Amino acid sequence: MKRQAARCVGLLVLLVAVGVFGCKKEAPAPAPTPPSEPAAAPAGPEAAPVEGSPGKALAEEQEVIIWWAQWDPSDGLQNVGNEFEKRTGIAVHVHQIPWPSYQDQVTMNFGGKQTNFDIVIGDSQWLGWGATKEFYVDLTNWLKENVDVSAIHPLSLRYLCEYPTGSGNYFAAPCEIDATGFTYRKDWFEDPEEQAAFAAEYGRPLTIPDTWEELRDLAEFFNRPDEKRYGCVLLTGRGYDSLIMGFQQIMWAYGGDWGNRETYEVDGYLNSAGSAEALAFMKELLGFAPPGATNFDWSKCLEAFNNGSTAMQMNYFTFYPSICRVMGDKVGFFIMPRKGERRFASLGGQGFSISKKIPEARQERAKKFIAWFLSEEGQQLWIRQEAGFTSNVALLKSEAFKVATPYNPAFAESLDHLKDFWNIPVYGELMTTAVKRIAEAIDGECSPQEALDTLTAEHEAILRDGGFLK
Amino acid sequence: MGKSRFLKYGFVAPVLVVLIALNVFPLCYNVVLGFSNAELSGGPWQFVGARNYARIFSQPQYVAAIRLTAVFVFCAVTAELLLGFALAMGLRGRFPARPVVLTILLVPMMLSPAVMGLYWHMILNGHYGVLNQVIALAHLPQPQWLTDPSLKLASILLIDIWMWTPFMMLIALAGLNAIPQYVYEAAAIDRARPWTVFRRITLPMCAPLLVLAVLLRTTDALKQFDLVMAITGANDSATQTLSALLYQTTFRTYKVGLGAAYACVVLVVVIALASVFVRYIDHIQQRQGKQA
Amino acid sequence: MKRLRWTAVGAYLVIATLPLVWMALTSFKQQRDTILPTAKFVPVFRETREDGIAFKVSTEGFRKLTDRAGGSDRSFLYYIANSVVIGLLSTVASVGLGTTCAYGFSRFRIPGEKDWLFFILSTRFMPPLAVVAPILILYRQFDLQNSHLGLIFLYTCFNLSLAVWLMKGFIDDIPKAYEEAALVDGYTQWQAFYKIILPQARTGMAVTAVFCLISAWNEYAFAVTLNRTDAVTAPVYFAGLQGNIHGVPWPQIAAGVLMFVTPIVLFTVLVRNHLLRGITFGTIKQ
Repeated sequence: MKRQAARCVGLLVLLVAVGVFGCKKEAPAPAPTPPSEPAAAPAGPEAAPVEGSPGKALAEEQEVIIWWAQWDPSDGLQNVGNEFEKRTGIAVHVHQIPWPSYQDQVTMNFGGKQTNFDIVIGDSQWLGWGATKEFYVDLTNWLKENVDVSAIHPLSLRYLCEYPTGSGNYFAAPCEIDATGFTYRKDWFEDPEEQAAFAAEYGRPLTIPDTWEELRDLAEFFNRPDEKRYGCVLLTGRGYDSLIMGFQQIMWAYGGDWGNRETYEVDGYLNSAGSAEALAFMKELLGFAPPGATNFDWSKCLEAFNNGSTAMQMNYFTFYPSICRVMGDKVGFFIMPRKGERRFASLGGQGFSISKKIPEARQERAKKFIAWFLSEEGQQLWIRQEAGFTSNVALLKSEAFKVATPYNPAFAESLDHLKDFWNIPVYGELMTTAVKRIAEAIDGECSPQEALDTLTAEHEAILRDGGFLK
Repeated sequence: MGKSRFLKYGFVAPVLVVLIALNVFPLCYNVVLGFSNAELSGGPWQFVGARNYARIFSQPQYVAAIRLTAVFVFCAVTAELLLGFALAMGLRGRFPARPVVLTILLVPMMLSPAVMGLYWHMILNGHYGVLNQVIALAHLPQPQWLTDPSLKLASILLIDIWMWTPFMMLIALAGLNAIPQYVYEAAAIDRARPWTVFRRITLPMCAPLLVLAVLLRTTDALKQFDLVMAITGANDSATQTLSALLYQTTFRTYKVGLGAAYACVVLVVVIALASVFVRYIDHIQQRQGKQA
Repeated sequence: MKRLRWTAVGAYLVIATLPLVWMALTSFKQQRDTILPTAKFVPVFRETREDGIAFKVSTEGFRKLTDRAGGSDRSFLYYIANSVVIGLLSTVASVGLGTTCAYGFSRFRIPGEKDWLFFILSTRFMPPLAVVAPILILYRQFDLQNSHLGLIFLYTCFNLSLAVWLMKGFIDDIPKAYEEAALVDGYTQWQAFYKIILPQARTGMAVTAVFCLISAWNEYAFAVTLNRTDAVTAPVYFAGLQGNIHGVPWPQIAAGVLMFVTPIVLFTVLVRNHLLRGITFGTIKQ
């Protein structure tokens, strides 16, 4: 008994001692906190302001380190970076991190005294988080002086770079702009027999759908599970944000929204009749999808279309080059349908953000690279990369662009209808609750209205907690 | 006397020092941060008392996660134990190609859970997955392994059992092989029946190792995350185990303070469970006279 | 009885191996054939129909493994080499240290023994996710990240609890009479350990080594966090393949996994005699 007590006391003392001296704090805090000191481990390096190498040498290295996810556009960026090195002598290293771990790694890296990267290419949703926590350098003035801002598509600037949205403050510069669109089986649509059958059944010709209702009819028509043929696949992945990206454009078309972007009210927007109708409609559309399609992220959607079984696929434009390779002439593209006068496409893509936790000299070098990338020369090189998509207005309007690939016209048009999810710092919680509730409605565990009502309450709680909703 | 004392510490000290050095800081980190509102990306934080713990215990999400984890661990470990032991019994003694059979049986355990989750996704997928196609050949209705809420946990359970039964099997085999031959010979002389031999000799003699295996497997199953992440993602209410909830909290909503509180709760649960097992192992070993 | 035994074992063998067979088949398919709604079972060497069950054999999966990955100049072979080095070294360290420590606890009276053993076990309890961030902080302090040594050290520590507990279980089974006889003959304690116990404990060490190697081999969370480009291991490679805009490259992953699992299988084959050996007691204990 005495031994046990002694053990407990010893453990407690040890815990308190190490806890007090061992937990590093990154910035001085106003509230009472233990003194920040180097970790309790015995022989730590003393007070090095920059981890790794001495501060001066790091500042002078002629290089720019960029972090992006591991996928083909990163390879493209590296190629463009190599061109930059040829012209200026500054080496560009694009460090690629596997997608499943990308967000985690970036977040953890920002927790150190200095980040291991100069530029991080982040999702648009991270903007608020990066801006308010002082991770991203404020690019407002620099952007206006060094880059032809008028050459950048306004919606791309607004959603990829601006925080708060509409304020004119920029914390990122566009790198890869992306949107959601549809691919379809051109050969099926142009088959005379199919056209005759469709006209007979629906009383109108078989054409590319312009409205969501038309899309629904087409999905129903092409849905033949016995022949292993399906009508459509939508983005419904639950792992990250696919479901949100897939649902929100339907919701916006039906008149709903995530909330009032100025007052942060959610009630009446998210749980409006329009939103519920949109969710019910999405559920109906998924009835014409392959089995298991209620949890398809972009790669599963891609597979469902590339294996020849699905008539229409909702996916990001980034993947269209590879679809063209696989399907060749059989594939066509169209933009997001509308409901009534409203047509919206989910914003994709990422922007360059410069880390504030690096020496000034490195920030300048990073700015140099970004300025060159956004110039006409840089953008020309970028669109020649397999998965590079530009937001340069002149290029988008040019004839050369329109005929370069079969999906470019749809891409250019889609950019005019972009909209995004919340980009405020608490977007993470907003997104995870949204995925959960919408998934429940899609899986049939509750009605769309119920799911949205529950979600509205949760979102309002989160926004209140975060100080956005009064 | 002094030399022998130094000697005995010499055997155990290196391991203890190393483990203390590496484990104390993370433990304190989690305990201290459990009382704070820290965020994953650093920045200033404050102590918020027991608010995190209050949140944990009042959230239905947490209770659901505990229940799910308990169900999962219990089913997985029981199935693995029974199957593994049965296999070990089947594989004792010599027969041709024994090493080959053993190695093949061990392969599922050697595969990385993270990669296997991805790969099983391909097999179980309702669209082109091979399992459903085989089931369709038998004209049976095709279960949606990955999207049917009642089947998702079963899928993960199946994969876990497939992967870890070899673990139990190997330990059971080692334990069975350790039983000396003369004991069986003595039993044969006494004309004991097979069931009695099993119940009175085989089972008790490999019990310590089996219980140890169960203990190790339980502590691992409680941390099960890779499979959940790969099969359904960490945000799915049908499969959100404690580890998945921890991941969601720390890495998706960045609330590392709340996540640390979860980790501490998990730790307490595991410590409690493990103590029970360890005491049981001690008990068995004492009965067998292995301890002084 | 015997027939039942063989049917049961055989049935399990077949069922458990089927996914592996499917993986082997997948590694020889073209990307397209892996995602078709009709599953393809039969490998042939000519062009095939889309809806048949035959597929054309292709080595595209294996060839792609030699491509550069993740923007670096390195291919899969580099990742596997890292895994081999880090896995083997950490296994040797953890089995060696673990056995020594287990012997100490098994044969000597160490004050607070039960508590120490429980402490060692408890290092296994924390979910890795909860420990990633603090270990990253610790490693930054010592500049151990992005180094082979850092990962080897980490994996050794993680496996120590398994090693100590398993080895203690095995060493407890070895009767003390052997060492006592040796000590009477003039051996030192260390020599008794080295010359008498270790050979007897070979089964245990083989089993433990296999588990430690597997655990270090397949670890992902720390491999991706503590690394930039130098000490990346194969699980990180597989995770990176998921971002491929042409869709997940199943043949490549299957081929990679097959190659990835080969060293462990080889290791198991090498130690198979030790794995299957029993601990015999001979004539001392009557």
